Amino acid sequence: MSLATKIGNITIRNPIILASGVLGTTYSTLNRMYEAGLGAVITKSISSKSRAGNPNPSVFALNDIRSVISSVGLANPGYQIFREDIEILMKNSTPTIVSIFGENKEEFIEVLDGLKDLPVLAFELNISYLNTEKGGTQIGTDPDLVYEIVKELREKTRIPLWVKLTPNVSDIIEIASAAVQGGCDALVAINTLKAMVIDIHTKQPILGYKKGGLSGAAIKPVGIRYVYDLYEHFGNKIPLLGVGGIFRGEDIIEYLLAGASAVEIGTSLGVAYPENMVRFFQMKIKKYMKEQQFDSIGEITGGAHR
Amino acid sequence: MTKQTLPNDKPIMGEIVEKWGECFETYCFKIKLPVKVQSANPGQFIMLWVPGEDEYPVGIAGLKDSILEVGIAKMGPGTEAMHKKEVGDLVGIRGFYGKPFTPPEGVNHLLIGGGFGMTPLKLLTEKLMSNENKQNIHVFEGARSKDRLMYLKWLQDFHDQGKINFHVCTDDGSYGYQGFPTVDLEMFLQESETPSVIYAAGPEKMMKAIFDLGKKFANVIDMQMSLADRYMRCGFGACSSCAVDPTGWRICVDGPIFNTEKLEKISDFGVYKRLETGEKKRI
Repeated sequence: MSLATKIGNITIRNPIILASGVLGTTYSTLNRMYEAGLGAVITKSISSKSRAGNPNPSVFALNDIRSVISSVGLANPGYQIFREDIEILMKNSTPTIVSIFGENKEEFIEVLDGLKDLPVLAFELNISYLNTEKGGTQIGTDPDLVYEIVKELREKTRIPLWVKLTPNVSDIIEIASAAVQGGCDALVAINTLKAMVIDIHTKQPILGYKKGGLSGAAIKPVGIRYVYDLYEHFGNKIPLLGVGGIFRGEDIIEYLLAGASAVEIGTSLGVAYPENMVRFFQMKIKKYMKEQQFDSIGEITGGAHR
Repeated sequence: MTKQTLPNDKPIMGEIVEKWGECFETYCFKIKLPVKVQSANPGQFIMLWVPGEDEYPVGIAGLKDSILEVGIAKMGPGTEAMHKKEVGDLVGIRGFYGKPFTPPEGVNHLLIGGGFGMTPLKLLTEKLMSNENKQNIHVFEGARSKDRLMYLKWLQDFHDQGKINFHVCTDDGSYGYQGFPTVDLEMFLQESETPSVIYAAGPEKMMKAIFDLGKKFANVIDMQMSLADRYMRCGFGACSSCAVDPTGWRICVDGPIFNTEKLEKISDFGVYKRLETGEKKRI
């Protein structure tokens, strides 16, 4: 029995990947999470210039729905400075996917050009971020733009390109098809859902940016649905990564059955003892595989469609 | 129902019930929590939301009957916005976050701080004084001048009652001896023949100097320092804005209090910190 999984032409030791935006600001937390036993890690989204992000409060928990609302606003030091962190990760042989962000096509190209000489596992294109005026979901809801950006980046590198999709569209297949036609190597579903919290006493939105994105247990059924829809449409033609609300090993299996080859986990690893969470996840997957007599992750993928 | 601590949740709104000018550009507030909370541990912090303005980590100076005490020194627009708040106003609180100081028994407790770092040390002083076995407590405080000494009267009163030993100094000699608090600390360590634990909070540069000093003395059996003087967003371990190198420990959940063994492993301690962008900045 092996937990290793293939995403296109790359193989990772298990299907659990650290999602972008959580524990990914520095090389040190990324290394720590890989050493905790994850299959791979994804950095925070990196842009061309440094971004201070949105005002605080920008992240807080919603305890009753085991979720988190955030509007960090892509705070990052820019690719020229972050390169140093990636180089340390490479030296440590940490399988790293770099999430890249651009307000427009030109910025995506600049960031990719600036980092494509590094032996990273893949680039994840963040075209689905909510809490910014330009780029992000403004790109990810426009199939023509998605096609154009993926196609141009494709021409510049052979490093796998993953496209992270927004759930905030009426037809995810249209956007996903544009990304596939552009030449991406995998689809990632889903990024955060549009959300907001207002304090009833002061009558003020709590987030400094006022509006935010929801992650955590509340969005898991949404993520499962989108992964299921994508697998239904594309079948084995394009690898899928499931992300959204994974809190238990069972949730990982559910995403695999819906059609994912691997999963990304953010919110539930952003806790005091993430190492314990990783251990629980692995234990549960192994137990399930043993009980169901699966030898590989690939055998579970898409199981709900058969 | 009395809660052990607050759940990790959206800010709960507390009403300011008392406000006083503590010292130069520093106000203290008592905030009534809308839920009953048993206790806060010294060294823990809250994320304080000043509605419509900002949110940032603040050390807990006291908690009694669900009334929380904090001390806010002017450090930027967010703290200035808090200074404008008055009795009756509402502010948001998330927490309590972080690992506390863990004082052992049978040692000299040497508390040393500066500026905003005095707030967690106030709660620690209080906890140590409330221990059923009398503790040997020394508080070392220094500031530029008398009007910048935080909790001066509070500490001086306990010193006069013989409950603590207050070693106070100012740069200009306007109160206590003239010089830095490390002078008295070093003198104490040179003369003491019993084991001591140093607890420090305040600007990181100051703590690094204390750490380097403490390492020279075999009678210092542990040092516990608060690295809360770093940029934080979430407070509960998700964003990693406050992570230290090369261990990847997040100050908000793996700290903010780190002991000697851990501080030795943090290569950026006293050297650099990360800005809100993630860029390194020399301390």
